[in-house]
Amino acid sequence: MVPGETGVYLLMAIMSLLSAIAVYMAIRERDLVRAVIYSALQSGLYAILYFLLLAPDIGLVYIPVAVGLIPGVLLVLISKTERWERE
Amino acid sequence: MKLIELVILIVVVLAVALLITVGFEHIIPSTSVRRLAEFYLYTAYNPLVNYTAMSPEAVTAIVWDFRGLDTLFETSVFYLALIGSLALVRGLFVEHVEKSGHGLSIIVRTVTRITAPMIIAVGASIGLHGHLTPGGGFQGGSVIAVLPMIVIVVFSAGFLVLKGVTTSKLITTRSLGLIGIGVTAIALFLAGLALGTSAYVFQNMAKPAAQISMPVSIGGALISGTLWFFNLFEMFAVAAGFTIAFLAIMMARTLEAEKR
Repeated sequence: MVPGETGVYLLMAIMSLLSAIAVYMAIRERDLVRAVIYSALQSGLYAILYFLLLAPDIGLVYIPVAVGLIPGVLLVLISKTERWERE
Repeated sequence: MKLIELVILIVVVLAVALLITVGFEHIIPSTSVRRLAEFYLYTAYNPLVNYTAMSPEAVTAIVWDFRGLDTLFETSVFYLALIGSLALVRGLFVEHVEKSGHGLSIIVRTVTRITAPMIIAVGASIGLHGHLTPGGGFQGGSVIAVLPMIVIVVFSAGFLVLKGVTTSKLITTRSLGLIGIGVTAIALFLAGLALGTSAYVFQNMAKPAAQISMPVSIGGALISGTLWFFNLFEMFAVAAGFTIAFLAIMMARTLEAEKR
């Protein structure tokens, strides 16, 4: 069993790595709808990171704005233009 | 190919993390709290000293009291951006009240109806307890603004207008919130003028040169003077502001589709 503080740091490391992977997937994805979902996933992981780094105020802004509002607006914009990214 | 790139990326990230860890071995951080942080922690909730904000939440005390003027200008930047986006779609959207279609399936609609009051309750709790727990007006307002977006997706933009959430009402709410923030900012200054004593703009609690202060609690409930009022008005203004933007964008789309 890992001690509490080490566990928190380990969790932060895993969250950071997963968010880096999510950013990579969002950039490489040709389907813009899936790219928006990867971006929202990265934002959710960042919100957990802010909470673990003892900044819950920022985390509370991050969850509704970056996971709810910005993907919503981006999806509306994608539905008005094109879904697939061209070369 | 994608997998190899991903592995390279992870290796680079881990290498940079290792480099930073090894580098920081040589920087021994100070164990004491910095003097500025010490001042904030000492005065944020301390009725015995001057410059107190009477709020146990040091972040909200800093945001709306110690550096309140900065936050006021941040708020005005947000509203200028909103006015700009409204001006962009002006003339592109009209409020039409007829219900277009039935929205998504009955399961999704029922779940939305159940979760709607919960979202409002969580948002109001985050906003109105901003001076006690993490959160505040902007956080609470943006949580509440998620609800109209979900309703627009699940039902339709026309459904929201049909339920009485019209653009003119939202603009009125937003303006009342802004006026409330302005009035709260100069409330104690006006009181000082009326009583013939000196008081500052954006004053919350008594200062050495201005001995009047806002009520710390109402009926035994701590409201921390101006902080509760700022959070309340900011919550209404932010929620209404975001909702106007969605409504305008969605309405613009439906009008364009009709023209085709």
